Amino acid sequence: MKGLLSNPKLLAIAIIGLLAILVSLAGGALGAAFGGGFLSSPIPLIQLPAEKVVGLGPFDLMNTTVMLWAAGLVLLLLAWLATRRMKEVPSGFQNVFEVIVEFFDSTADSVAGGARHAGRRFLPLVLAIFLLVLLANWLGTLPGVGTIGRIEPVEEWVEHRLHYKEDQIKDMRKEEGLPVLTKEELHEEALRAVLEENASQEFVVFDGSGALGIVPIGRGEDAKVALRDVIDIEHDDIHYIEKDLHAGIVKRAPVDADDPDKYADLVGKRAALLVPFFRGASTDLNTTLAIAIVAMIAVQIWGIRALGLRHYSGKFIILNKGPIQAFVGFLEAFGEIARTISFTFRLFGNMFAGEILLIVMAFLLPLIGIIPFLGLELFVGLIQAFIFAMLTLVFGVMASISHDDEEHTEEH
Amino acid sequence: MDGLTIGDGLKAISAALAIGLGAIGPGLGIGLLAGRAMEALGRNPEARGPIQQNMILALAFAEAIAIYALVVAVIIVFVA
Repeated sequence: MKGLLSNPKLLAIAIIGLLAILVSLAGGALGAAFGGGFLSSPIPLIQLPAEKVVGLGPFDLMNTTVMLWAAGLVLLLLAWLATRRMKEVPSGFQNVFEVIVEFFDSTADSVAGGARHAGRRFLPLVLAIFLLVLLANWLGTLPGVGTIGRIEPVEEWVEHRLHYKEDQIKDMRKEEGLPVLTKEELHEEALRAVLEENASQEFVVFDGSGALGIVPIGRGEDAKVALRDVIDIEHDDIHYIEKDLHAGIVKRAPVDADDPDKYADLVGKRAALLVPFFRGASTDLNTTLAIAIVAMIAVQIWGIRALGLRHYSGKFIILNKGPIQAFVGFLEAFGEIARTISFTFRLFGNMFAGEILLIVMAFLLPLIGIIPFLGLELFVGLIQAFIFAMLTLVFGVMASISHDDEEHTEEH
Repeated sequence: MDGLTIGDGLKAISAALAIGLGAIGPGLGIGLLAGRAMEALGRNPEARGPIQQNMILALAFAEAIAIYALVVAVIIVFVA
């Protein structure tokens, strides 16, 4: 404490830090309750599936796919930088990569029984998984991820749900034996149903005009309106509804009993949703499932390579040792599937939860307050990448040890 | 809050129950694990490296179960 007071530099840093924390506390949603909240933005819509960035013919390019490709490219670039000018005494990137490779090399050897190079054949895939997952996780914490994107107008949002609803209504009417609707009638029916179901769906009111939309800062959750404030859902004339839908502009200010003018300035602004261009690759179940499937198939291949197809399949199909052993074999086979699912959800759950944590913290403590949580996310990203790689290694080693060996070692 | 149905309320309760109950087991497990690791560390301080590494790995396993509950809760809230 004495050192802090006598050193003007340290004191200045401490005061600036304290001020920054106070500003972020007062500016966030916590401060908004006491009249502050000048920095708080509305919480973005959190949704489980990845969002479409752009359509590529019959395929949709998702924002998580973009990030996974980015992670792969960054990994290639780093690897190129590390091996561009290889030196006997490593420095820079080469050093970092050598540390990682050596660590995994020695770990793989010790897991695979201790002999030198015993774990060599597991190393390429294990390292690839570690580096790719690590980069995918870390890229997700970069600024701009989840905050820069396309503005999806209300019309487009409804459109997505319309086709599904039309099919649903068509099927329902067919089942009940009702007469087939014309195209226009079906469209109207579906549109009304979609609007009615999502009447309380909230949209963000964007500032700015034309192609440039900015999420309003300083209003927090108040900068959101429900669908029923954008469109007169109950209106009799469907063309009137469609005109509202096409415009996508706030028609009516939400009612607030205490302060009637609170939402008045929202009227006339654009209501829409933000579809981010980038989103952490591991926050998509498809990514983690894909990596898990690759890992588990590789485990099977390692097992077959080490033991031979006959011996390896003997772990799962045990017919000559009675019903209990047969059931054990079945459990073993089921365990392989369970491991794949467990791989998938462990990584996905951790990273998705982290993303939500960051979003909520950015809402509660903007600017400075989320820095410790960004650090936590970096740590979690590292640990999860390490666990994914280590488990692949451990499963691979377990698959390439025969049952007879296990019983043999247990006796000792 | 208008436009909220009993279904929404039930959804919120079930999501809270899913993560709340699901966190009990992993919480106990993580406590036991870390406690044992500390004991081992006290007995054998030289083995700090491997103990720590194995502890983190095992903690991740225990934590993964809580994450499953979280995934279920998230699915209840955002998808179902």
